[in-house]
Order: sequence, then structure tokens, then C-alpha cells
Amino acid sequence: MGSVAVYTSTYPETLMVDRHTAALEAENAHLRALLAQAQRRAAADADRFAAENARALAEAASLACLYERGLAEGAARLTRVEDLNTQLRASEELNRRILWTTTDCVKILDLDGRLIAVSENGPSVLGAKDCTALVGQSWIAFWSCEASRARIGEALKAARAGRASRFQAMLEIGSSTRTVTWWDVAVTPVNGDDGQPERILAVSRDISELKQNEARQTLLMQELAHRVKNTLAMVQAVATQTLRNAVSLEAAGEALGARLIALAQAHDVLMQGSWSSTDLRKLVAGAVKLHGDGAPDRFRVQGPDLILGARPGLTLGLMLHELGTNAAKYGALSTPDGHVEIAWNIVRSGSTEHLHFRWEEVGGPLVAAPTRSGFGTRLIERSLSHSFDGIVSLSYPSTGVVLTLEAPLAGVLGEAA
Amino acid sequence: MTDTPSEQPVVLLVEDDGLLLMEASDTLADAGFTVVEATHADKALKVLENRDDVGLLMTDVDMPQGSMDGFALARLVADRWPAIPVLVVSGMGTPGPHDMPDGARFIPKPYEPKTLVRTLRAFVRRAA
Repeated sequence: MGSVAVYTSTYPETLMVDRHTAALEAENAHLRALLAQAQRRAAADADRFAAENARALAEAASLACLYERGLAEGAARLTRVEDLNTQLRASEELNRRILWTTTDCVKILDLDGRLIAVSENGPSVLGAKDCTALVGQSWIAFWSCEASRARIGEALKAARAGRASRFQAMLEIGSSTRTVTWWDVAVTPVNGDDGQPERILAVSRDISELKQNEARQTLLMQELAHRVKNTLAMVQAVATQTLRNAVSLEAAGEALGARLIALAQAHDVLMQGSWSSTDLRKLVAGAVKLHGDGAPDRFRVQGPDLILGARPGLTLGLMLHELGTNAAKYGALSTPDGHVEIAWNIVRSGSTEHLHFRWEEVGGPLVAAPTRSGFGTRLIERSLSHSFDGIVSLSYPSTGVVLTLEAPLAGVLGEAA
Repeated sequence: MTDTPSEQPVVLLVEDDGLLLMEASDTLADAGFTVVEATHADKALKVLENRDDVGLLMTDVDMPQGSMDGFALARLVADRWPAIPVLVVSGMGTPGPHDMPDGARFIPKPYEPKTLVRTLRAFVRRAA
């Protein structure tokens, strides 16, 4: 502004300058105002930005907080899921082990009765190559027996309707070499989330052995019934024969009683041979016990071990009783010095073997042939030769009764017990 | 035998147990029958092949010694000698559906001797 003081002498010029200066100052003021306005606006904008920033930051912080919480929850959930998975794996392992330990055949079927999954023994039970060969197959198609098919059909129907069932069924596997097995089968629906049957569980247990035992039992009972009937028929024949030949009712009663005891004793030996065979030595021992008086050497017994069939054994038991009774009444056993020699042997002649059996009374009173033939004599002469398909000879030399029997071994032998 | 129907016919008695054979034989002989005895099926067949006067077959079932049991013998006789009536006797219970030939009779063991004789007489009358 020093230049303004210099030009004060020339008024117009000075006026012009003053005016110019005022304009400049006005302009200046205007610019300053604009600047101030701009500055104010800038400050306001800055404030707004700052506020917005702060808001955004706050939002971000809150979001971060949310995320953090979500993350924590997620982690917790993940842990829970992992726990559940562990439990599930353990449960699966347990199921697998249970399936492995059981001998039952376990099958999962769809509602149409097609196999979805089968336990490891499935292929061998159902006669298939492996599990994959079974999947998708119709379960009922493996059962060829009509009764079994009917039962399985009913069980599947019941399972579809939500009911469990249990039954026994026969399974035949293989065409050339047929294998028959018996199964106790349980069929039950497996429900889905909606409570409706979704799949079907079928568990079969092998009861073949049980069935075999049942069959064996039935057979044994039939066999027993047959043998009891035969024994009764024998008792009847002994009774009738005794009465036919009896001199008095009293004598008949006594003889019948003794004969039944002899028959019972022969049965004891037969029982020891499981009802199918009799040990000849034991049979003879039984007769010796019945007819010996306890004195030593009343019977001298000699012969190899021999197992007779049931029928020949019983007949021989009766015969020994008749001989023993006769010896005690009239023969060698009726005197203190007499004795009986019993001997048997197996004699080979040509290609066949024969049983030679001999009963000889020694040291008794003089013997004469009986005048009438009683039951004992008839049993020996008629029945024995038939039963043994051999030759029987009963002779009465004065020294004592002699019985000889020769029979093909094949006809008299039984199975060794 | 059909020439003299008034006579009691010859009975072929097949039984492997000597005692039962003797008893049945006595029972039939007492009733007036003529009895031919055989202890198993093969012997019975030999009898039938060698004589033509057998008028009735009475057989046991279980006879291990022959080549066939009494049921098989009954069927064979019914087939080869259809004029001979067949009576099967056994303690084995009721025969199965295909065991017996048509027209044959079954008597369970033990039986009452009188019943046996009555059955045989009725049987012979019907067959004559």
C-alpha cells in the first residue's frame, strides 16, 4: 500500500486508484467469503464423513462380533456333530460285530421283498456266489418248498401292514445235491420317519439240528412202540402156549410167571444192547443166575464173545430158561453132583460161518425121553430152528440131556452195541 | 382148492419169530386150517412156486432175513397169484398208503387168536 501514498497529488488519478483498490478489496472479500464458505462446507463434509465412518466402523464391529459368535456356535456345533459321528461309528461297529458274532442270517429287504443287504453268511445260506449276487433278488424266490413260500408270503404281507411275525420254514438249496435246512424266521417292519414301514428286517436262525433231533425222536418212539408190540405178542404167545400144554391151572400160572421172568431177563440184556443186540455171554450168565443154586461149578460156560440179534437173543433166552427149568426139576441140576456144560463156537465150513451151540447135562440122574412134549420141547424143536434158520437137536441119552444148535452166523448176529 | 370149497384152505404162514410162528400155527391148526410155515419172504415164494394148493397168505412185516419185507411180499403175491387173499399182521402200527396191495387185510399185533380165525374164515368165504 506504500504506492497509494505516492499518488495522492493527482486527484483523478488517485480516485481511479482508489476505486480500483476498492474493487479489488471487494473481490478479495468475496473470495475470502467463498473460501470461508468452502472451508465451512469442507468441515461439514469432513464431519459427515467422520460420522459415517464411525457408524460404519460400529456396524463392522458389531458384525465382527456377530461373526465371532456365529463362529463359536459353529465350532460348538461341529464338535457336537463330531461326537455324534463318533457315537454313530461306534454303534455301526457294534452292529457289525453283533452281525459277525451271530450265526443267524440277517437280511434287510425293501417293501417288495427284494434283498437290500445281507449278513456275511447270507450267500452260503442262500446258495449264492457272494453278497452282490444277492442284492436286488427276491427273497421268496430262494424258497422252493410250497409251504415255506406261503409262510414267507404271509410274513411279508404282514410286515408291509406294520406287523411282525415268526415261523419255521424248510429251505432246499442246490439242484443236483439237494441240501435241506430248517429255519426259525422272524420278519419285522422297519419304520421310516413318518412311522410307516419303510423296509423289512428278516432274521433266520438255523434249526436244522433241532428238526433232525425231533425226527430222530419220532423214529425212536415208533421203533419203541413196534418193539413193545412185538414183546407183547411174544408174551401172548408164551401165555397161550403155556395154557395149551398145562396139566393144571396152578402149574400153568407158575410156569408162566417163571417164563415171563426169563423173558424180562433176556430183555435186560437186550436193553444193554440198545434194543438191537444181545450179548450171548450175558444171556447165558442170566440163565445161570436164574437156575443155578449158588453152588460153584453148576454151570461150566465156554465160548467166544458173540453179539446176537434181538430176536435170536430173546428166543435163546427163553430156550435157556426151559432147559434150566427142566434140568432143575428132572436133570443134572436136581442132584448135588450134577452140572451143565454150555459151550459155543464159530465154525467155518466153506464160505459160510456157523454158530455151534451145545448144552450138555452131566452127572444127573438117569434120563429118559419125555412121554409128552411140553412147551419147552416144542419151543426148542419147532421155534428155535425157525428163529435161527438152523438145525436143532434135542436128545436124551441116559447120561443127561443134550441140545445142539447149528445155525448160519449171518442169521443170528446182531450189531455190536 | 376151488374144487372143494367146503374144506378149510391151506394157509401159508410167514413169520420170522419162531415162537410167534408156532403159536399162530397152532391157533390155525386148531381151527382146522392146514398150515405151511415159512420164516421169511423168500421161503414163502418158494412154497408158492412149488405147490398150487395155497389158499391164503398170512404174513408178518418186519423179517430181516429175507430179501423183502411182508408188505413187498404181499404186493408180489397179489400181483403173481391174484386168487390168493393176503392178510398182513404186524406190530408196526397202521400201514402206509402204498404198503398194502388192493383187497389185502391188515391185523395189528398182538391179536386175539379167535379174531384171527374169524377174520381168516370170512376172508376165505369172500375170496371163494
